[in-house]
Amino acid sequence: MSSKLVRKWGNPLFELCMIVAAVITFIPIYYLIVTTFKTPEDATLFPLALPSSLNFANYMEAWTTMQYPRVFLNTLIVTVTSVLGIVLFSSMAAYSLARRNHAFNRFLFMFFLAGMMVPFQMGLVNLYKLINALGLMDHLAAVTVVNIGTGSIIAIFLFHSFFLSSVPIELEEAAFIDGCSVFKTFWLIAFPLLKPVIATVVILSTLNVWNDFMNPLLFLQSRDNNVILLEVFRNVGQFSVDWTSLFPMLLMGVAPLMIFYLAMQKYIIKGVAAGALKG
Amino acid sequence: MNTKMRLLKREFDYQILILPVLIFYLLFCVYPFLSTFYYSFTDYSNMKLTNLKFVGLENFRSIFDSDLLMISIKNSLIYALLMTVFQTTFGLILAVFLDRKLKTKNILRSMFFLPAVFSPLIIGYLWSYLMSTSDFGLINSAITALGFEKINFLGNPDLALYSVVFTQLWQWTGWAMVIFLANLQSIPKDLYEAAEIDGANSWRKFWKVTLPLMQPSVNVVAVTAMIGGLKVFDIIFALTEGGPGNSTETIMTAYIKTVFNEGFYAKGAAFGVVFFIAVMMITMVMMSFLRKWGENTR
Repeated sequence: MSSKLVRKWGNPLFELCMIVAAVITFIPIYYLIVTTFKTPEDATLFPLALPSSLNFANYMEAWTTMQYPRVFLNTLIVTVTSVLGIVLFSSMAAYSLARRNHAFNRFLFMFFLAGMMVPFQMGLVNLYKLINALGLMDHLAAVTVVNIGTGSIIAIFLFHSFFLSSVPIELEEAAFIDGCSVFKTFWLIAFPLLKPVIATVVILSTLNVWNDFMNPLLFLQSRDNNVILLEVFRNVGQFSVDWTSLFPMLLMGVAPLMIFYLAMQKYIIKGVAAGALKG
Repeated sequence: MNTKMRLLKREFDYQILILPVLIFYLLFCVYPFLSTFYYSFTDYSNMKLTNLKFVGLENFRSIFDSDLLMISIKNSLIYALLMTVFQTTFGLILAVFLDRKLKTKNILRSMFFLPAVFSPLIIGYLWSYLMSTSDFGLINSAITALGFEKINFLGNPDLALYSVVFTQLWQWTGWAMVIFLANLQSIPKDLYEAAEIDGANSWRKFWKVTLPLMQPSVNVVAVTAMIGGLKVFDIIFALTEGGPGNSTETIMTAYIKTVFNEGFYAKGAAFGVVFFIAVMMITMVMMSFLRKWGENTR
């Protein structure tokens, strides 16, 4: 009798528990969203209630205080250039490392892989000096070049294993016999076959670069060149008391990635799993 | 001769393809890393930028005299260990639960994963409001409404580090879950059928079939949680700035303070070297431990 009961109600009951757990997990984000529409009094008295009206005044204010279009554009520039650089340069290198398996390349591959375990942050002072010496200080390019350096390690690894497991070499050999150069073969024949792993690399690097705070903090000083997170950081100091003004800024700080996630969640979840397990 | 030249050029072209990424890697990762070793033996500071003197192990000794640095190592170890253990455990439990046939499976998965998309900095600011002891602190309002005393999550030195860990488990458990789920789905179903025929209950099936085959994902999640935990910065910066006292200082926050606020470059470099050696040792120990576990369960 009891096992029959378990069979009939066990699963729905279990599912209900999971839903409750998911809702509890979601509360902080729900709270962030509803608070942006409230006055301080409303937010203190009924923190979890739906807003009584959709008051966008907080947003308008945050939009201008943060100079949102500019910081958004800066973040976008840094992210797009970094991700493009990572995808292009890493896939090129991985192609060569996968197709030319001589001792020197094997060494290079290990040399890149070793970087996964090294906490490169320990060299920040020297990196700071280097960026200064290169004249990149307070340029968006500073963040981009550092991102390409650190972000390429995992990308090379993912591209490399994809070349070995899923890109047939026969096409490339045929192309070479037809007189195709290495660069042309890579670009016209091998690169287009990389789509699935490019998706993975793009997703992982976009999340990393967009959410990166330390590099912009160190390398971008002037307000004209700052990114979304720096602007949030700047304003938290000034608005910590006036918290209903701050919440729209926090939400606008995460909104672009939230939209990216809502639109692409299937690919993002797949990409995260693939990035972790393809090793 | 012509074909020989052509083949040689081809090999050359292949090596050229590696060059761009190698330059970025050497310049922005390897060079700063290696020069740290050099500076760790000098008297380099913001007061002394040139004419550096070799001071032997002086900088390494000064680490032991610094409360900030010693506490930060301890805190980072506690933080990384807690993150590793609980992120792996909770992620695994969540993944096994969501691997069952549920109608809302996909929505649940997306909801648990959502916090991982956000920047830890902003998550930190959000939680500093949620955990606040003032009137708008959501968690403390709930606690007082239930008739208990307010808890000073971030202001109590004995509690602050664990509060930070809590927010990060909230943020990253879904990430671990996604990786575990992908691994779970790759386990052939007939293994479970075979175990059922042998009379195994679901608990035994988990221990004897699922867990051993989950080794690849457990490895990845545990090792990245450990390395990421030792490197933690953003969330601390946003939630506590290392306080109260030094109770939530981590290796990275202490490093940044030593180097960029106090200007002790060489001391920071020595600390970085210690950090590097610690990460290497911990990772090695963990990997051999995980490998042994993998061999034993097989």
